[in-house]
Amino acid sequence: MRRQGFQSAERRYKRVAYPLIAVYALLCLGGTALWAFFDVDVKLASAGLAIVICIPVIALLVAKLRQFEETDEYTRLRRLRAFARAAVVTLSAVFIVGFLELFDVIDDVPLVLFGSLFFLAYGITACLQRWPGKTV
Amino acid sequence: MKNSLRLMRTERGWSQAALAEKLGVSRQSVNAIETGKYDPSLPLAFAIARLFEKPIEEIFEDESAQQLAAE
Repeated sequence: MRRQGFQSAERRYKRVAYPLIAVYALLCLGGTALWAFFDVDVKLASAGLAIVICIPVIALLVAKLRQFEETDEYTRLRRLRAFARAAVVTLSAVFIVGFLELFDVIDDVPLVLFGSLFFLAYGITACLQRWPGKTV
Repeated sequence: MKNSLRLMRTERGWSQAALAEKLGVSRQSVNAIETGKYDPSLPLAFAIARLFEKPIEEIFEDESAQQLAAE
Protein backbone atom coordinates (compact mmCIF):
# COMPACT_ATOMS: atom_id res chain seq x y z
CA MET A 1 0.00 0.00 0.00
CA ARG A 2 1.25 3.48 -0.87
CA ARG A 3 2.55 5.56 2.02
CA GLN A 4 0.54 8.78 1.98
CA GLY A 5 1.96 10.68 4.91
CA PHE A 6 0.35 11.57 8.19
CA GLN A 7 -2.08 14.29 7.14
CA SER A 8 -3.68 12.51 4.20
CA ALA A 9 -3.81 9.20 6.09
CA GLU A 10 -5.61 10.91 8.99
CA ARG A 11 -8.06 12.65 6.65
CA ARG A 12 -8.80 9.42 4.83
CA TYR A 13 -9.30 7.51 8.08
CA LYS A 14 -11.60 10.14 9.61
CA ARG A 15 -13.69 10.31 6.44
CA VAL A 16 -14.44 6.62 6.85
CA ALA A 17 -14.29 6.14 10.63
CA TYR A 18 -16.68 8.83 11.84
CA PRO A 19 -19.62 7.72 9.66
CA LEU A 20 -18.90 4.08 10.59
CA ILE A 21 -19.00 4.89 14.31
CA ALA A 22 -22.30 6.77 13.82
CA VAL A 23 -23.77 3.88 11.82
CA TYR A 24 -22.62 1.40 14.48
CA ALA A 25 -24.24 3.44 17.26
CA LEU A 26 -27.49 3.69 15.29
CA LEU A 27 -27.46 -0.02 14.47
CA CYS A 28 -26.76 -0.93 18.10
CA LEU A 29 -29.63 1.18 19.38
CA GLY A 30 -31.97 0.38 16.52
CA GLY A 31 -31.09 -3.30 16.40
CA THR A 32 -31.48 -3.79 20.13
CA ALA A 33 -34.81 -1.93 20.12
CA LEU A 34 -36.00 -3.95 17.14
CA TRP A 35 -34.93 -7.18 18.79
CA ALA A 36 -36.68 -6.31 22.06
CA PHE A 37 -39.78 -4.65 20.58
CA PHE A 38 -40.62 -7.31 18.05
CA ASP A 39 -39.38 -10.12 20.26
CA VAL A 40 -37.47 -11.70 17.37
CA ASP A 41 -37.39 -15.42 18.01
CA VAL A 42 -36.47 -16.53 14.50
CA LYS A 43 -32.83 -17.66 14.63
CA LEU A 44 -32.09 -16.52 11.10
CA ALA A 45 -33.45 -13.01 11.70
CA SER A 46 -31.46 -12.70 14.95
CA ALA A 47 -28.31 -13.91 13.21
CA GLY A 48 -28.83 -11.44 10.38
CA LEU A 49 -29.35 -8.59 12.82
CA ALA A 50 -26.23 -9.54 14.78
CA ILE A 51 -24.07 -9.70 11.64
CA VAL A 52 -25.40 -6.39 10.29
CA ILE A 53 -24.48 -4.68 13.58
CA CYS A 54 -20.94 -6.10 13.34
CA ILE A 55 -20.28 -4.89 9.78
CA PRO A 56 -19.33 -1.28 10.75
CA VAL A 57 -16.94 -2.59 13.45
CA ILE A 58 -15.20 -4.88 10.97
CA ALA A 59 -15.03 -2.03 8.45
CA LEU A 60 -13.57 0.24 11.15
CA LEU A 61 -10.85 -2.32 11.93
CA VAL A 62 -9.99 -2.55 8.22
CA ALA A 63 -9.84 1.26 8.05
CA LYS A 64 -7.55 1.22 11.08
CA LEU A 65 -5.22 -1.26 9.37
CA ARG A 66 -5.14 0.98 6.29
CA GLN A 67 -4.37 3.98 8.49
CA PHE A 68 -1.44 2.10 10.06
CA GLU A 69 -0.05 1.34 6.62
CA GLU A 70 -0.51 4.84 5.22
CA THR A 71 0.56 7.04 8.12
CA ASP A 72 4.10 8.17 8.97
CA GLU A 73 6.60 5.83 10.62
CA TYR A 74 6.57 7.32 14.14
CA THR A 75 2.76 7.42 14.35
CA ARG A 76 2.63 3.86 12.99
CA LEU A 77 5.07 2.70 15.64
CA ARG A 78 3.12 4.34 18.47
CA ARG A 79 -0.26 3.11 17.32
CA LEU A 80 0.86 -0.43 16.57
CA ARG A 81 2.47 -0.55 19.99
CA ALA A 82 -0.79 0.58 21.59
CA PHE A 83 -2.67 -1.99 19.47
CA ALA A 84 -0.32 -4.76 20.61
CA ARG A 85 -0.67 -3.76 24.27
CA ALA A 86 -4.45 -3.67 23.93
CA ALA A 87 -4.30 -7.16 22.41
CA VAL A 88 -2.26 -8.38 25.40
CA VAL A 89 -4.77 -6.89 27.85
CA THR A 90 -7.77 -8.32 25.98
CA LEU A 91 -6.32 -11.78 25.43
CA SER A 92 -5.26 -11.98 29.08
CA ALA A 93 -8.83 -11.10 30.09
CA VAL A 94 -10.21 -13.69 27.63
CA PHE A 95 -8.06 -16.45 29.12
CA ILE A 96 -8.71 -15.50 32.74
CA VAL A 97 -12.47 -15.12 32.31
CA GLY A 98 -12.59 -18.17 30.03
CA PHE A 99 -11.01 -20.47 32.61
CA LEU A 100 -13.03 -18.96 35.45
CA GLU A 101 -16.14 -19.83 33.43
CA LEU A 102 -14.84 -23.27 32.59
CA PHE A 103 -14.26 -24.07 36.27
CA ASP A 104 -17.73 -22.70 37.18
CA VAL A 105 -16.32 -19.92 39.31
CA ILE A 106 -18.30 -17.25 37.46
CA ASP A 107 -21.38 -17.17 35.24
CA ASP A 108 -21.26 -16.63 31.49
CA VAL A 109 -19.75 -13.29 30.45
CA PRO A 110 -21.01 -11.89 27.13
CA LEU A 111 -18.20 -12.28 24.60
CA VAL A 112 -19.04 -8.95 22.96
CA LEU A 113 -17.73 -7.13 26.07
CA PHE A 114 -14.17 -8.18 25.15
CA GLY A 115 -14.47 -6.20 21.93
CA SER A 116 -15.29 -3.11 23.93
CA LEU A 117 -12.46 -3.95 26.33
CA PHE A 118 -10.03 -4.08 23.39
CA PHE A 119 -11.01 -0.63 22.13
CA LEU A 120 -10.91 0.78 25.67
CA ALA A 121 -7.45 -0.72 26.26
CA TYR A 122 -6.28 0.63 22.89
CA GLY A 123 -7.47 4.13 23.76
CA ILE A 124 -5.85 4.08 27.20
CA THR A 125 -2.51 2.63 26.04
CA ALA A 126 -2.40 5.09 23.13
CA CYS A 127 -2.78 7.95 25.63
CA LEU A 128 -0.22 6.51 28.06
CA GLN A 129 2.60 6.45 25.53
CA ARG A 130 4.08 9.75 26.45
CA TRP A 131 6.57 8.11 28.78
CA PRO A 132 9.79 9.99 29.28
CA GLY A 133 12.82 8.66 27.44
CA LYS A 134 13.60 7.24 24.09
CA THR A 135 10.85 5.75 21.94
CA VAL A 136 13.13 3.87 19.55
CA MET B 1 21.49 10.10 18.14
CA LYS B 2 21.90 13.86 18.45
CA ASN B 3 20.58 16.17 15.74
CA SER B 4 20.38 19.84 14.86
CA LEU B 5 16.83 19.72 13.52
CA ARG B 6 15.39 22.18 16.04
CA LEU B 7 18.14 24.70 15.34
CA MET B 8 17.74 24.44 11.57
CA ARG B 9 13.98 24.65 11.83
CA THR B 10 13.98 27.75 14.03
CA GLU B 11 16.60 29.39 11.79
CA ARG B 12 14.07 29.17 8.98
CA GLY B 13 11.26 30.38 11.23
CA TRP B 14 9.23 27.22 10.76
CA SER B 15 6.97 25.80 13.43
CA GLN B 16 7.03 22.08 14.22
CA ALA B 17 3.64 21.77 12.51
CA ALA B 18 4.94 23.52 9.36
CA LEU B 19 7.98 21.25 9.18
CA ALA B 20 5.78 18.21 9.81
CA GLU B 21 3.55 19.16 6.91
CA LYS B 22 6.53 19.61 4.58
CA LEU B 23 7.82 16.17 5.55
CA GLY B 24 4.40 14.48 5.53
CA VAL B 25 4.68 13.39 9.14
CA SER B 26 2.88 14.29 12.37
CA ARG B 27 3.95 17.22 14.57
CA GLN B 28 4.60 14.64 17.30
CA SER B 29 7.12 12.94 14.99
CA VAL B 30 9.07 16.18 14.53
CA ASN B 31 9.00 16.79 18.27
CA ALA B 32 10.16 13.23 19.02
CA ILE B 33 13.08 13.56 16.57
CA GLU B 34 14.09 16.99 17.91
CA THR B 35 14.07 15.82 21.53
CA GLY B 36 16.00 12.66 20.67
CA LYS B 37 13.13 10.33 21.63
CA TYR B 38 12.96 8.86 18.16
CA ASP B 39 15.60 8.22 15.51
CA PRO B 40 14.11 8.55 12.02
CA SER B 41 14.42 5.86 9.37
CA LEU B 42 16.85 6.39 6.49
CA PRO B 43 14.14 7.55 4.03
CA LEU B 44 12.91 10.16 6.52
CA ALA B 45 16.46 11.23 7.38
CA PHE B 46 17.16 11.68 3.65
CA ALA B 47 13.91 13.65 3.26
CA ILE B 48 15.02 15.96 6.08
CA ALA B 49 18.45 16.34 4.52
CA ARG B 50 16.91 17.17 1.12
CA LEU B 51 14.55 19.72 2.67
CA PHE B 52 17.36 21.55 4.47
CA GLU B 53 19.81 21.01 1.58
CA LYS B 54 22.46 19.56 3.87
CA PRO B 55 24.21 16.18 4.07
CA ILE B 56 22.72 13.77 6.60
CA GLU B 57 25.86 13.68 8.75
CA GLU B 58 25.63 17.42 9.17
CA ILE B 59 22.17 17.07 10.67
CA PHE B 60 22.50 13.82 12.62
CA GLU B 61 25.43 12.99 14.89
CA ASP B 62 26.20 9.36 15.57
CA GLU B 63 27.19 9.48 19.25
CA SER B 64 28.23 5.82 19.43
CA ALA B 65 30.64 6.30 16.49
CA GLN B 66 32.13 9.32 18.25
CA GLN B 67 32.56 7.30 21.46
CA LEU B 68 34.29 4.51 19.53
CA ALA B 69 36.58 7.02 17.84
CA ALA B 70 37.45 8.55 21.22
CA GLU B 71 38.38 5.11 22.61
